[in-house]
Amino acid sequence: MNILRLSDSSPQTDREWPSFSLRPGLHIFFLLLFANLLQPPPLLITPGPQQTVETSHPILGVHTRLTDEVEEWKVQRTLEMVREMGAPWIVEFFPWAYYHAEDGGIAWSHPDMVVKHAHAQGLKVIARIGWTPGWARPEDTPPTYLDASAYDDFATFAAAFAERYRGQVDALIVGNEPNLSFEWGYRQTTAADYVALLREVYPAVKEANPEMVVLAGALAPNLEPPESPWATNDLAYLEAMYEAGAADYFDGLAVHIYGLTRPPEEPPAADRLNFRRVELMREVMVEHGDEDTQMYITETGWNDHPRWTYAVSPAERIRYTLDAIRYAEATWPYVEMMAIWAFRYPAPTHKPADYYTLVTPEFIPKPIYEELKTFTGN
Amino acid sequence: MRRIPLILGAFLSLLFLLASGCREPQGATWQRIEESGVLRVGVDPTYPPFAVAEGGDVRGLDADLARAVAADLGLEAQFTYFGFDGLYDALATEQVDVLISAMVVAPHRMKDFAYSDPYFNAGQLLLTPAGETEIEEMRDLRGRTVAVELGSPGHMAANQWQRRVPDLTVNRYDTPDAALDAVAAGRAEAAIVDGISARLYLGANDGVQVAGDPVTVEPYAMVVRIEDELLLEKLNESLDRLQESGRLDRMIRRWLGTRIGGS
Repeated sequence: MNILRLSDSSPQTDREWPSFSLRPGLHIFFLLLFANLLQPPPLLITPGPQQTVETSHPILGVHTRLTDEVEEWKVQRTLEMVREMGAPWIVEFFPWAYYHAEDGGIAWSHPDMVVKHAHAQGLKVIARIGWTPGWARPEDTPPTYLDASAYDDFATFAAAFAERYRGQVDALIVGNEPNLSFEWGYRQTTAADYVALLREVYPAVKEANPEMVVLAGALAPNLEPPESPWATNDLAYLEAMYEAGAADYFDGLAVHIYGLTRPPEEPPAADRLNFRRVELMREVMVEHGDEDTQMYITETGWNDHPRWTYAVSPAERIRYTLDAIRYAEATWPYVEMMAIWAFRYPAPTHKPADYYTLVTPEFIPKPIYEELKTFTGN
Repeated sequence: MRRIPLILGAFLSLLFLLASGCREPQGATWQRIEESGVLRVGVDPTYPPFAVAEGGDVRGLDADLARAVAADLGLEAQFTYFGFDGLYDALATEQVDVLISAMVVAPHRMKDFAYSDPYFNAGQLLLTPAGETEIEEMRDLRGRTVAVELGSPGHMAANQWQRRVPDLTVNRYDTPDAALDAVAAGRAEAAIVDGISARLYLGANDGVQVAGDPVTVEPYAMVVRIEDELLLEKLNESLDRLQESGRLDRMIRRWLGTRIGGS
């Protein structure tokens, strides 16, 4: 019945036109319509009621890894679990390169989503800003590459970020581990180069949002010899930062401190990497009259990989982690927060790094998560 | 007429499948090994009782296995030491022919590497007091107490089983041995401990036994580059012969004190 013969409506010619049937098309249309009706509605994720973090250890934080987490429910679940564990702080990486277009447009949707859920869970957010967009660096350089020609672009983005998340993001870290050449795209730099970046970023952020705490660092602990092409000793680098006039351009110092195979109470030494290296960093700050400036440990922790050289046993990892929190609370009034690296990865790395996490990619809490939860009174 | 392309397609597919099935395994590496008479083995010599460097030599289950496989194939094993982190890189860059170093079969690496048949299972085991007959699997732990090493995969497994087994109490200890001591002393009715620690304990202590099948599986296997199909075939054939002759069992007993089920 639904056969349409084009020749019937084409009186101009006697030519035989091919015939078309609408029936198969209609069948497909209704089939697709039916299939569409069978689909579940899209997942509706709402931030839910405003939560607060219950904890007996307000110093505790975690470094989350939500940068590459696409699904909103996973972002929300991660942050819920952080709150339920009793950690009031998160540190999260917000890559400048992901959001900022050359024409000045900024794609805020993903950071909006992360910040919204963190705020709803009552978490304090420290945002690490880094990674240079392709348009702001030479061709064939990695995203970590940053040179002075792009400092003002970096400052523009950091200021926009600070303004947008006023009251929702508490602190902003300028870059990451600037004492490693890797973090500059293997460009050889000095502490003075980093201070030059701070000089651009700090006033821009403060003008956009005076409440935003600007953190310098975080310095990577290392024992590299002078002139190493890979890294500058963190203590020497901090010293050089002060000599280059950094003090006026940050509100707090971010540091990374890993215990490796050593217990948290082991005394510090300049030639040894351990948890109490914080105290040596503090000495440099005090020597430069910066004792009023707080420190933020934005990465710390122990690893319990069964075979990695720098790992401890699972039981030691738990004990060292809890003892480290107790030690920091009792001994370091100048440390505002300490974040355990890392809460959860979106997917396994299949490397020893997986043994730093507190929760598996499938959201299964590891025993250390449960121990921390109990420790914070939850 | 329409059937002709169909028949032709089916024929070509069959031909392709047969050709694939009959393809000779690639054997350039094996040819070189045969010519040199040396099997280059990558090992991390810091992992007792599988491999430990001692006085210029390497000792342990993996060292014995490597020597036995090499001898079985008419070769000499030549060991090169690497840190655990560097083993796969060493194999990929052809510094060695095979890794025999307590390597866990890792599906995500199978694009670049191939694994032999497993020769050992290091997964978590359920252990009970000697003579205990009522507990054969995790479900039998209802209303009972299980001992684990704090923070270990066994602890994690026990926590997950707590959701399925009513009234399961999990007691944490600092080491696997302490967890097994608790079972032997009657302070816990079972323990979940990794296969290596359990075997070492059973080799030196009475009072505890393995119950049922492993709770988790963590197979150790030899690793070769993905293209070295003929070498893999030879290694598997050799492993079969060592298994059938009982030599593999004897090696496991020598270094781990005991052999359990299908380990």
